[in-house]
Amino acid sequence: MEKHYRSKLSIFIFAFPGLLLFTLFTVYPIFPQILISFQNHDGFKSYGWVGFDNYIKVLNSASFWRANGNTLIIVLISLLVALPLSLLLALVIDVQTPRIRNFFKFSSVFPAVLSVTVISQMWVAMYEPQWGLINSFLRAVGLESWAHQWLTDKNTVVICIAIAFLWQYIGLNALLFYTGIKSIPKQYYEAAMIDGANFFKASFYITIPLLRDIIKYVLILSVLGSMSLFAHIRVMTSGGPGDTSRSVIYQMYYTAFSTSEFGVGSAIAILFIIECLFVTVLINKFTAKERIEF
Amino acid sequence: MRQKIGDYLIKIVLFILGCSFLFPLFWMLNLSFKSKSEVYDNPFGLPIEWIFTNYGEALKTFDFFKYLNNSFIYTLGTALITIFLGSMLAYCVSRMQWRFADHVILYLTMGLIIPVQVVVIPLYMMINTFGLKGSRMSLILPYASFALASCVLMLNAFFRGLPKELEEAASIDGCNVYQCFFQIILPIVKPALATQFVLIFMNVWNEFFLAFILAGKESLRPLPVGLLSFFTSIGVSHWGLIGAAMIMSSIPTVIVYCFGNKQIENSLTAGAVLK
Amino acid sequence: MKIKKMLGIIFTVALATSMIGCGGQTADTTTKEAPASETSKTETAKPASEEKVKLRLMSLSTDENQIKILENYIKKNIAAELPNVEVEFEPGGGGEDYTNKMKTYNASGDLPDVWYSGAEYATAIIKAGNQLDFTESITGDGFIEKFAVPEAMKFSDGKVYALSAGADTYFTPRIFYHKDIFEQNGIAVPKTFDEFMTVCKTLKEKGIVPMSIMGKGGWGPQLYMVQTMIQGEDPQVALDLLQNKTDFTNPAVLQAVKKIETMAKEGVFPEGVANLDYGPSLELFTSKKTAMFGGFTWETANLGADSNIGMFMWPTSNDKYPTGDVTQYWGSPLNGYAVNANSENVEMAVKLAEYCVSQEALFYAEQGSKLNLQTGVTPAEQSELMKENIKLYENTKLKIPTIFLNAMDAKTGAEYGALGGNLLTGTYTAEQYVKDFNAIWQENTWFENK
Repeated sequence: MEKHYRSKLSIFIFAFPGLLLFTLFTVYPIFPQILISFQNHDGFKSYGWVGFDNYIKVLNSASFWRANGNTLIIVLISLLVALPLSLLLALVIDVQTPRIRNFFKFSSVFPAVLSVTVISQMWVAMYEPQWGLINSFLRAVGLESWAHQWLTDKNTVVICIAIAFLWQYIGLNALLFYTGIKSIPKQYYEAAMIDGANFFKASFYITIPLLRDIIKYVLILSVLGSMSLFAHIRVMTSGGPGDTSRSVIYQMYYTAFSTSEFGVGSAIAILFIIECLFVTVLINKFTAKERIEF
Repeated sequence: MRQKIGDYLIKIVLFILGCSFLFPLFWMLNLSFKSKSEVYDNPFGLPIEWIFTNYGEALKTFDFFKYLNNSFIYTLGTALITIFLGSMLAYCVSRMQWRFADHVILYLTMGLIIPVQVVVIPLYMMINTFGLKGSRMSLILPYASFALASCVLMLNAFFRGLPKELEEAASIDGCNVYQCFFQIILPIVKPALATQFVLIFMNVWNEFFLAFILAGKESLRPLPVGLLSFFTSIGVSHWGLIGAAMIMSSIPTVIVYCFGNKQIENSLTAGAVLK
Repeated sequence: MKIKKMLGIIFTVALATSMIGCGGQTADTTTKEAPASETSKTETAKPASEEKVKLRLMSLSTDENQIKILENYIKKNIAAELPNVEVEFEPGGGGEDYTNKMKTYNASGDLPDVWYSGAEYATAIIKAGNQLDFTESITGDGFIEKFAVPEAMKFSDGKVYALSAGADTYFTPRIFYHKDIFEQNGIAVPKTFDEFMTVCKTLKEKGIVPMSIMGKGGWGPQLYMVQTMIQGEDPQVALDLLQNKTDFTNPAVLQAVKKIETMAKEGVFPEGVANLDYGPSLELFTSKKTAMFGGFTWETANLGADSNIGMFMWPTSNDKYPTGDVTQYWGSPLNGYAVNANSENVEMAVKLAEYCVSQEALFYAEQGSKLNLQTGVTPAEQSELMKENIKLYENTKLKIPTIFLNAMDAKTGAEYGALGGNLLTGTYTAEQYVKDFNAIWQENTWFENK
């Protein structure tokens, strides 16, 4: 048994095809991209090497920093509001009656099933200032003064997009947590219940620690997902008004494709990849290393 | 008593939240039965005048079945390749004695990081050099590659949760590592594979950017790209038709999801018995 | 199970071999232009037994007129006019999407045989040597004689890169309005900008949103509002901007932009206008939720069907250049059907482009539009609105090309839109706009290339 699990050949057969596919279509294309980030390139053609000029340009651009600020807001909302909410939902549905649980499990993933275009378009209709659902509701309950131009006010637009995005995936994350909870052997709870633990104690001291691996996975997935938010912005505001609702990825897309500064755009992409690597390392550092075995 | 009221409150909140997640379906269905002008006057209420011709009219210019066929091929192809290669890689990383295992995980997280948008030109050129252009593989391989990372990361977490005794028992019975993996481990993690399948299905089915650039040919287009050309070809203003087209494009995902949802649940209970 | 193992190995081998092909590609992808796609050769080689020539045509699929031209004219008549050509139609999307597609295709050497070219990105394709100069071919086959003013098609280097029916140059910015709404509220067509603002105020008081425009991405200010306002202050400044003789710190620009700021602040536009798309903005007008619509005369045929709709020129506040004397016109010699210089069948591609532009001309001629390309078609019946449109056009004394299309590189143009979008929020001052945009204008490379 051990022999097989150490055998170079079986490791190769198991690991190589996947790694190759991944390397070829996901990692390799970065290298031409790195080269472009050091060139004056308009997406059609290179006009020579420019050293670090593109990077200097990016770091001096106000739009880039605003985009970073927006991305940070989205990630923070995701970390502090959306993920805890998903986890809470998972814990709560676990102790519900099967009927409610099944209904909730079915409906919660539903928004993630639908296309981003459909969801974003729906939220545009919700936020619409004249007849949108939110303003209509506020007016109906006498909170007229709260009615707002949600997507064209620079103070609210990023949060509004973040809500639409996070709402779409809250249920999916909850279901992922829930599958994790389901895989925890029941004996752990039985023991705790004998000791008189209530729902919160059981969740806090048993479920959550045992969910570490799943939590880490969902954490990485949703933090990085929030960082590379693009499609929702594209459909809802196109980054507008002006540059107020661009994420870093949108700024990259705008620079490369709209302003034709492909070199500068590639520089943003490379900086962004570095940011993401940094965040991933950070998450890995702060989450448990040791493997959980039941 | 107080606890009971709290329980009911939680149930009600859950129910409302659950309904809010189903709202998009109501919204689209509702739109699809409205006339062009009513959408603007009465955007969220039920149609005052029910229009049933939107679907037929949308189908006239919206080549639904061709796009549907393409979408199915892309999605199933991607899911098969990703799950097959991904489960093997995840198993190798989580179980085999390999000193690079942790490095591989970190390496794969790059797949979650790298934005598709930025590598589209190099990707497009590669597809040309490989002679894949004009074939459906030109989308399936990049899709599978981009989906692999999250697949391996998730399966890794599941494999780690499995007791080692499983393989030990199997090896006493004379299984080699391949038999052990395909005959014992994979069936056990079927729920996780099913979850992955559903996730990949949802992602690929709705992917837009790569499909728009890489599947230039009309005959190779999947639904989301077809949906957009339909939106724009009617001037993004007849929401009744748009609603009808959105419903038609969403039905397959909804069916797969309903089916997959049950599958996941069944397998979960089966998995729990094993513990 | 063994089959699965085998499959895995086959996969490995297949991918490994493709990897080798990929290693040598690194230099290619970034440094040199790939030659016209190799794959298209193999594609055309396959149906060698057939006589038909296969050509790929990419069109704008978001522009309503372009869709009508493609569906009702080009596709309908092609079998009769070009029997030995088989066309693969590729809807390219519109706006940014279309541009991105062209960029990817151009970079990878996979341009279609014929496409609808746009000024925003055409210079780069031309620089790469991929866009055909039509001069020789259209002089050779006499197609050039069908144009009333062939010079209008020449780019600043004297070459012809796109064939256009020339309806573009007759497209000018206008304000469309509902006559009955104006009548019911006792409003006359405004002659000056101050009168215009009074009209808007009256409408607002009656609870009617005065005017809808497309504001998403700053479309309205980008395409015409900033320029129209500048012309209202001093047309010479607009002309100077086109020649790079002045910049956006010119006091006339500040005055002009202040007017847009005022309009946004006074609530001339619907709430959330900065995120309003074209289709919905037009729908707001046609469903009478707004009294006026700011757009171009390319909507004349569509809106003319309703006899209740009238139009007027953007009012100025300048005695020297009263309302209606000066207008901006759309169009650029780079807009129109273009041919891939490296196409397998350049000759047939040119024929296809000529056919397409003729069909385009037919479409506009039947609507009664004025054209550069002569068709000999007499329009059935011109709507009142179309007659009004031609009258207003003929009354103008000075016609100025569009600054956005004829003086800005891709970056400047994009930022012109982004900052224009800011203006529509009403929380961005004209002073800030001038400061921000002038910094970008200083880096404009358009004039260097000439």
